[in-house]
Amino acid sequence: MLISVEMPDSAEAAHASLQAGAVPLGGGTHLLTRMNDEAGPDLRVVSLRKAGLRGIDVDGDTVTLGAATTLADLEDDPRLGYLAGCVRSIASPPVRTLATVAGNLFVPQPYGDLAAALLALDAELDVLGTAGLRRERLERVVADGLPEGELVTRIRFTAPAPGTFRFHKASRRRLNSGSIVTVAARLTVEDGLVGDVRLVLGGLSRRLLRAAGAERVLRGAPLTAEVVAEAAGADVIEPFDDAYASAWYRARVYPVHLRRALLGA
Amino acid sequence: MGRLTPIDTTYFKDERAGDFTVIGSAVQRSDARGHVTGRTLFFEDLTPPGLTHVKIHRSTRHHARIDRVDVSGALEVPGVLRVITHEDVPNNWYVVLRLIGVGPDDEPVLAEDRVLYRGEPIVAVVAETEEAAREGAARVVVDYTDLPAVLDVEAALADGAPIIKQAGTNHFVYEGHPCRRIRFGDVERGFAEADRIIEGRYSSSPIEHAPVEPTGCIVVPQGDGRLRIHSNTQAAFFTLDNTALILGVPPTSLRVVGGTVGGGFGGKVDVIVEPLACLAAMLTGRPAKYVYSRAEEMQVSSTRAAEHIHIKDGVMDDGRIVARQVTLYVDAGAYSRHSPYGTTKAAAHMPGPYTIPNVHVDCYCVYTNRTPSSAMRGFGVTIGDFALESHMDHVARELGMDPLRLRLKNAYRDGDMKAHRKIASGTALVEVIQSAADLVGHDLPPEYRAMSSAERPEG
Amino acid sequence: MPSTIVTLKLNGTERELIARPSTTLLSALRDTFGLTGAKRGCAQGGCGSCTVLLDGRPAVSCLIPVVTVDGCAVETVEGLADGDRLDDVQQAFVDHFATQCGFCTPGMIMSATALLNREPAPTRQDVTEAICGNVCRCTGYEPIVTAVLSAAESRRDGAAEGRHDSAAERRHDGAGERHRDAAAPLSGKAAG
Ligand SMILES: Cc1cc2nc3c(=O)[nH]c(=O)nc-3n(C[C@H](O)[C@H](O)[C@H](O)COP(=O)(O)OP(=O)(O)OC[C@H]3O[C@@H](n4cnc5c(N)ncnc54)[C@H](O)[C@@H]3O)c2cc1C
Ligand code: FES
Ligand code: FES
Repeated sequence: MLISVEMPDSAEAAHASLQAGAVPLGGGTHLLTRMNDEAGPDLRVVSLRKAGLRGIDVDGDTVTLGAATTLADLEDDPRLGYLAGCVRSIASPPVRTLATVAGNLFVPQPYGDLAAALLALDAELDVLGTAGLRRERLERVVADGLPEGELVTRIRFTAPAPGTFRFHKASRRRLNSGSIVTVAARLTVEDGLVGDVRLVLGGLSRRLLRAAGAERVLRGAPLTAEVVAEAAGADVIEPFDDAYASAWYRARVYPVHLRRALLGA
Repeated sequence: MGRLTPIDTTYFKDERAGDFTVIGSAVQRSDARGHVTGRTLFFEDLTPPGLTHVKIHRSTRHHARIDRVDVSGALEVPGVLRVITHEDVPNNWYVVLRLIGVGPDDEPVLAEDRVLYRGEPIVAVVAETEEAAREGAARVVVDYTDLPAVLDVEAALADGAPIIKQAGTNHFVYEGHPCRRIRFGDVERGFAEADRIIEGRYSSSPIEHAPVEPTGCIVVPQGDGRLRIHSNTQAAFFTLDNTALILGVPPTSLRVVGGTVGGGFGGKVDVIVEPLACLAAMLTGRPAKYVYSRAEEMQVSSTRAAEHIHIKDGVMDDGRIVARQVTLYVDAGAYSRHSPYGTTKAAAHMPGPYTIPNVHVDCYCVYTNRTPSSAMRGFGVTIGDFALESHMDHVARELGMDPLRLRLKNAYRDGDMKAHRKIASGTALVEVIQSAADLVGHDLPPEYRAMSSAERPEG
Repeated sequence: MPSTIVTLKLNGTERELIARPSTTLLSALRDTFGLTGAKRGCAQGGCGSCTVLLDGRPAVSCLIPVVTVDGCAVETVEGLADGDRLDDVQQAFVDHFATQCGFCTPGMIMSATALLNREPAPTRQDVTEAICGNVCRCTGYEPIVTAVLSAAESRRDGAAEGRHDSAAERRHDGAGERHRDAAAPLSGKAAG
């Protein structure tokens, strides 16, 4: 049961409160679903709603998102048009009003669609820990999690050049449905050959997966159906069963969705 | 406001001679203003002072013996007022259909020495708050010895299958028979005379109604000692009488206030929440609410039954079906609820809206260790129709015949004797198919155009 | 943690309540204020029957600890009608048979209202996106989409005729405030 909700007015105050064993509360669209239905140990939370962590800065190529920026805020910002498809694939308007960017980094799969996009963009986090503020690659945090008591305050990434960002999410329904397979990629194509590529998969493992094998196959190769099919076989995936799809189905359709993400058909 | 699709009155002109002013026009719903202003009162919109909350500790096993139930952990949770076990239920065994003479009572309100499905209620916890009730329910400890589970209807009837029901069979008994039967003509002779035998097997999964409003009720003790039950039941009187029987009180001591149902679709005709909420109110002397969480609604509320249906047809080359044998298995899940009745409906529905001279139907109401199934929109009939009409298409394909003509040829006509020996009347299948063919631009030859429900062509 | 006093601007009126940490906005509305229009269909953010407007935006009230929205503007279905006069969305739902059992209706109407406040001329696609978080098991959605499109039309006609609807204006204000808030630059020392 939720036994305390603190409302600190700064990131430092929020971090201080976390030291007493509380956990951060972004929009609560994950945490509250558990509190509402499951019995369990008492929980103390620190709401980030008034901690000054909401806002979007775009400075040249550098985009900085406050941790408590809502998905609705992202949706509204014309400067982030390349993220619109991803954001609108997540839940529904009355959930996105609440859901925060940082919260999306810590939800269990098959959720975490924005995290997949941010990982493809090689985002970096500002993390407030006992030793003060430090920078962490999102990739490290996705793999290892964050120690208790630490707080993400900002998410920073380089805006992708036009046409270099891909996001494709396969779901049971067109709208408001958890991922079966999510593909997020940043890739450049020069003279018909793939240049730089970062490829991230959701729905295919208990954690977001950096598809390093597929990246190796793609790098320097022509972007054709054959190459993409080979890339789809190049990583060890460990899909799971849930209400949206079986592990078998996820594995079976992954190559199709990788193709749709990279080739559009 | 006019209708979007005008009523087609061509075929039954004479029957529509009345001076109708409402039929065919759009009439405003009487409840719409309440709905759009949020003023319609659903049962949960009531918050009587002193309301207590009921949550359930449920079986984590498909089929198991209960060795021990320890409720002490629940009683230690601050705010928990009472735990209720089967010993507190005056008449623990029931079947909702006993009101129309169906038996035996096969379901306990709270499990006694065994559980027959995952999610079966074992202990109810009554508390000051929902959180305390939930925590209390989670702290109940049950020790089980697992028993072999039966999760498929045909496996349940196979030789050597573990018998899961105390009545001694894994199927409901219909007047001494293992299934609901229909015998009409001589199906074996029909098969012998037929040009071809065409068979098919069809099956369906359980379907959850998923009403947006979860099943639940609030019970408020009255000054005169009666209990007022605010419920979203679709069956107020079934609820009233069954609850009275379970509690061992005269029906006059209960009053059901219902009628506003936030989506039912048949899912709210079982009597599940009211008896325990009444007991909670009686034992604490305070109002009590028992409402399913969304997870409970999805997991433990009754579903539409899964079915297996085998159809064997004897067919002439010209498309006449001369014999039809149907073997149908309804998966009742662990308990009867409304399934014995649904299975009877399935039998009465066979062989579909077709006149077939030789019919043999066996419909089994089978118990398995799955969530009990019960009523859902047209239950007993809907899945049967899925199988029958899929099979008609299959027969048409096998014969290389237009599926509409196959149906027109076999469609029942007014005056035909149906397999369960009722005279067909008011049939309109021929006309409906003709109209549908027109609407989709499907060509029918003159002899099929000329067919009518009122008369049967020679031959 | 003891209960705290929370202030809400509820359907335009300042209201206070004493809330426990675990009290959700939905239960505050229903149990404390008796505003039972917002429904609890799932308590999981999945059905939308509890949708209200929070500072002008649609939000699932079942997932909000009410203490976190202290000082916010909250609008519920009860705030839409002007006495006995239904607002245009409500009237369109009645006219187009967009309500059957009625359980999803208040949440559905709030999602539709949020859409029309932001987008006076929505497309069909806009409507389906706006209501994708609101489950209706009865109607099959078609009449709802029709009702919302028709409400948009009548609201545009009304605006063209210069008719004033104070409730609608209030909602526009809420949306505006939220937008300014979101666009604010990052602040706070941790920006480093
Ligand atoms: C109906 C429904 C549908 C959904 N569909 C999708 C979907 O399609 N795709 C998808 O990706 N997600 C989906 N979600 C999940 C969820 O809404 C989103 O992932 C959302 O972004 C989570 O953010 P939040 O702020 O609400 O998280 P919270 O519930 O507030 O927090 C989630 C976790 O993150 C931690 N956390 C939050 N902020 C910080 C911080 N600053 N520093 C450190 N830890 C932090 C919390 O402690 C918690 O462990 C859905 C949820 C619902 C209810
Ligand atoms: S009750 Fe809030 S979304 Fe279902
Ligand atoms: S009208 Fe019943 S759920 Fe929508």
